[in-house]
Amino acid sequence: MTKACVKWKEQLLEAALTGTAAGDLEEHMKTCAACAAEFEVLQARRERMDTMLPLVARGAELPGEFRARVVAAAEAESEQKRARSVGGWVLAGATAVVTAALVMGLLLHWRAAPTVLEAELPAAERLAEWRAPSDVLLQIPGQEILQTTPRLGESYMKVPINTEEE
Amino acid sequence: MGSSGSGVTGACVEALIARVEAEERGAAFGARVAENQRRVFQIAYGVLGNAADAEEVAQEAFLRAYQKFASLREAEKFRAWVNRIAFRLALNRQRGHRRRLARDTVWHVAGTSDAVDGARSAEERVLVQRLRSEIESLPEKFRRVLQLSIVEEMGAADVGAVLGIPAGTVRSRLHTARKLLLEAMK
Repeated sequence: MTKACVKWKEQLLEAALTGTAAGDLEEHMKTCAACAAEFEVLQARRERMDTMLPLVARGAELPGEFRARVVAAAEAESEQKRARSVGGWVLAGATAVVTAALVMGLLLHWRAAPTVLEAELPAAERLAEWRAPSDVLLQIPGQEILQTTPRLGESYMKVPINTEEE
Repeated sequence: MGSSGSGVTGACVEALIARVEAEERGAAFGARVAENQRRVFQIAYGVLGNAADAEEVAQEAFLRAYQKFASLREAEKFRAWVNRIAFRLALNRQRGHRRRLARDTVWHVAGTSDAVDGARSAEERVLVQRLRSEIESLPEKFRRVLQLSIVEEMGAADVGAVLGIPAGTVRSRLHTARKLLLEAMK
C-alpha cells in the first residue's frame, strides 16, 4: 500500500469485515493493485479470525458428570441450609420452653412462700400476743407517752395519756 | 389410638409430599443445568481461559441459581440470570487472579492460561493464544462484548442482557471490536 493509499485504510478494514467494498473503494481497487492485494489479505485474515474466535471461548469439554455433580451439590447445600434453619428453630423453641418453665416455677414459689398453714394460724396469733411476765419490770415511767405517736404540730409533752386502764 | 394413627399417617403423607416436591425440583433444576451448562462454561472460559477455573465458576453460578430456583423456573429467566451471574463470577475470579499475579509478579511470565484447549493444531493453538492476548488488550467495553459474543448461542440480545445495554449497542461495539482486532492481528 502506497502513502497515497493510507486514506483507504479505514474503508479497506470495513470492506474486509462486511465483505463488500463501497463504490469509490471498488473503483480505486480497479486501478490500485496494492490496495486490491491489501483487501485480499484483510479478507483472508478476517475469515481466519472468525474461524478462530469461537475457539477462544470453547475450552475443554465439561465432564459428563457435571450436571449430576451440580444437582447433588445444590441439593446437599439446600439440605444443610434447611437443617441449620430447623436447628435454629428447635433451639429457639427449647429456649422459650425452658424460660417459661423457670418463670412459672418462680411465680409458684413466690406465691407459696408466705402462706401459713391454716392449722398453724391460731398458734401464730397467740404467739404474737404473748408477753413475758418480766416485761412489767422493763417498763419505765412515761413509757405510755413514748408509745403514743404525737400528731402533726403536737409534742410528746402534750399528748393526752390514756389513763382509763389504770 | 385412632388419633395417634392418623397423626402418624398425616406426617408420613407430608414427608412423602415434601420428598416428591424435592425430587421434582431436582429434576427440573437438572434439566435447566443440562440446557445451559455448555454456554455458561464457555462464558466463564472466554474470560478466564482456564478450564478448571471455568468449571468452578459454572458450578458456583448454578448453585446460586438453585437458591433462587423458585423465581427462576421459566427457562428464559433462568438462562438470562445464569449467564449474568457466570460472567460476573468469572470477572471477579479474573480480578482475584490478577491481584495474586501482581503480588507474585516474578512468576507471571509463564502464565496460567490453557486457552488453547479447544484448538486442534499447534498453529491454531498459537493463533488462539494470540487472539486471546489481543482481546485482552482491547478497551474494556469492546472486550466484554466480544468475549460474550463469541460464546455459542449468545445473540446480541443475550449479550445485552448480561451487560445491561441494548442489542443495537452490542452490535455496534462488536463491529468496532472486530475491526480493532483485525487491525491488531497483522
